Amino acid sequence: MEFLTEHFDDFVNGFFRSLSIALWGAVGSLLLGTLLAVFRVSPIPVLQGFGAAYVTLVRNTPLTVLLFGMAFGVPGLGINASFYLFGVVTLILYTAAFVCEAIRSGIATVPIGQAEAARAIGLTFGQSLGLVILPQAMRSVVPPVGSVIIAMIKNSAVVGAAGVGSDLFSVYKRMTSALGYAPLPVLTAVAVAFLIMTLSTGALLALAERRMAVAR
Amino acid sequence: MTGSESNVASTGRRPLVELRDVDKHFGALHVLRSVDLTVGEGEVVVVIGPSGSGKSTLCRTINRLETIDSGRITLDGRELPAEGKELAKLRADVGMVFQSFNLFAHKTVRDNVTLGPVKARGKSAAEARKKADELLERVGVANQADKYPAQLSGGQQQRVAIARALAMEPKVMLFDEPTSALDPEMINEVLDVMISLAKSGMTMIVVTHEMGFARRAADRVVFMADGQILEDAEPEQFFTAPRHERSKDFLSKILTH
Amino acid sequence: MRLIRSAALAGAVALALSACGGGEDIEAEAPEPVAAEEAEFEAGSTMAELSEAGEMTIGTKFDQPGFGLRGLDETPDGFDVRIAQYIAAQLGIEADKIKWVESPSSQREDLIVNGDVDMVVATYTINDKRKERITFAGPYYVAGQQIMVKKDDSTISGPEDLKANPDVKICSVTGSTPAENIREYLASPDQLVTFEVYDDCVTQLENGQVQAVTTDNVILVGYVAENEGKFKLVGEQFTEEPYGIGIEKGDTAFCEFINESLEKAAEEGYYEEAWKETAGAYEGTEVPELPELEPCA
Repeated sequence: MEFLTEHFDDFVNGFFRSLSIALWGAVGSLLLGTLLAVFRVSPIPVLQGFGAAYVTLVRNTPLTVLLFGMAFGVPGLGINASFYLFGVVTLILYTAAFVCEAIRSGIATVPIGQAEAARAIGLTFGQSLGLVILPQAMRSVVPPVGSVIIAMIKNSAVVGAAGVGSDLFSVYKRMTSALGYAPLPVLTAVAVAFLIMTLSTGALLALAERRMAVAR
Repeated sequence: MTGSESNVASTGRRPLVELRDVDKHFGALHVLRSVDLTVGEGEVVVVIGPSGSGKSTLCRTINRLETIDSGRITLDGRELPAEGKELAKLRADVGMVFQSFNLFAHKTVRDNVTLGPVKARGKSAAEARKKADELLERVGVANQADKYPAQLSGGQQQRVAIARALAMEPKVMLFDEPTSALDPEMINEVLDVMISLAKSGMTMIVVTHEMGFARRAADRVVFMADGQILEDAEPEQFFTAPRHERSKDFLSKILTH
Repeated sequence: MRLIRSAALAGAVALALSACGGGEDIEAEAPEPVAAEEAEFEAGSTMAELSEAGEMTIGTKFDQPGFGLRGLDETPDGFDVRIAQYIAAQLGIEADKIKWVESPSSQREDLIVNGDVDMVVATYTINDKRKERITFAGPYYVAGQQIMVKKDDSTISGPEDLKANPDVKICSVTGSTPAENIREYLASPDQLVTFEVYDDCVTQLENGQVQAVTTDNVILVGYVAENEGKFKLVGEQFTEEPYGIGIEKGDTAFCEFINESLEKAAEEGYYEEAWKETAGAYEGTEVPELPELEPCA
């Protein structure tokens, strides 16, 4: 484990780099995923169609294809940005499709009567969704969305392969390949770093679930 | 079939809800067949009929929870708008009480009642709260205001639902089988609230099997079968001398016990 | 030993335009060593065997522009190929008697150990690990890490300019030695962008996502050659990768013969001429001198 003492800074940097990718990915995909779910249950056919098409397209495309499409295709069109940004955006676009479906399944668990009652007291579609449906859907949405987010955190390791030079994945490659450390201890350390992220996410989710269970 | 207009004319009320030639299908099922109905201001109309007669659907078309295929529905002289902000505004003027209460499960009793006034009417939270507490007092559940719906009995929940609808200060109240999901011992506490509401002059359209309520509170009884209004009469006349064969048949079935 | 030297000297090589081969070949334009006609070697030596056979098998790269690249022609060309041809000529073997075998990096030791080739001249970095299985003659060239930029870009003219231009991104392969070497020249680690293969770095250089690519000059020369007019090399080589000629382990006599041939090639000007016509044809490459040869142990 001497690499930890010799390259602790690089390792910690890599951890925070990966953590920031995962955090932005989580925030962005939750927002976009919710918006897409709203589209899918909205009474407007164009939005419904867009939501459905987006989910079908993105959910059925491998993440690496999206990632390299973003990192190579978009600059090819003359749009330049950092690979970090490309990576985070790809992660958000990809994960949002899964978040959307998880939220939609949660919306389906809310009895139709709740929506009717909301409409009957004069709430608009947006109000019904935001004030009545989604808050109730969230309770049943937390576990599946949590799984999606944890999967995303693990997927974020792939982002390093598309130019992001200092995340945990790149640190691992550097340690084992250029610096010649044995792979197993380095991999173990990387795995522990990811475990710190995923387990704390899991703990947060459990907390969220408990609080929502109380609130009814 | 007796024309409802003649009735309205005789009572001299201002028409508040009007259905003209309303048709609706659920797929191949023709649930409403050329329905005409006028409900005057302050009038209490009870809609009865066998299950599947279309009475619930009729009730739900009035605030457009169900759309119609053809015909016209007007509320206070204005035709129901299509989906959007205008419709939301109209719905705020129409109170609705559901068979299964449909209280917002994630909100306290008080918040159930204040949500509409604050969000749809733009009232201040304090004002809405004051009004809510009054209404909860009126329906007899003031001491439950901070509980969640699931902690209440069915009868209490339904009374909260009535308070929630009243909080919008609606022009008309729709009741879609409000006691059908209740345990028998709770039916009366809800009916009592409804009767006092009727006496206060609220315009009400009530789909129910509660003949007692119809006798005591209704101005008119409308009998539906197979998507049609077959009879429209004052309660006394309807229960003692129904004119239509189907009405007689229906009454004999439910009144023998 | 003396015999070998005299024999080699007897077969003095003159640079001349080759008379053989297709007239339109690029080969035809290149100077070809003339085979030593009276080459004589100590009986039983590798040189004697090859000389007698009049032909030999040589491993080189077929995909490395400037060093060993085989086009439509059967014979590859490049600096490595020219060096190999010169050595063959010293054995009295004509260029058209050489059988070329493609030797990718991962297969070079095996080709030598299995006796599939008589020698390997294939951008072959001398290191101790390889020396466990084979013997190196040379080095005949010292490659080194350099920087490639777009042809019209004048921001970066060497690794020292990277610190002063923190917005410049430089690309290399994830976990590679060049990626490690460049770190000390960076203003921050974020300046380094890494991909799995150099092709991706080059694409991103074209895309404008990175402004420079760094690795061994030999690889960069390949990209400059493939993308004519788009890129150039800048600055000096800032690392040293000595290229040797791989032969069967322990064949000291052959090693010494090769080293002597290399010295001769340098003396005669063949070495510099060969460089200029191959790898040296690209902008930003430095004309090398024959490095100090390692003793054949």
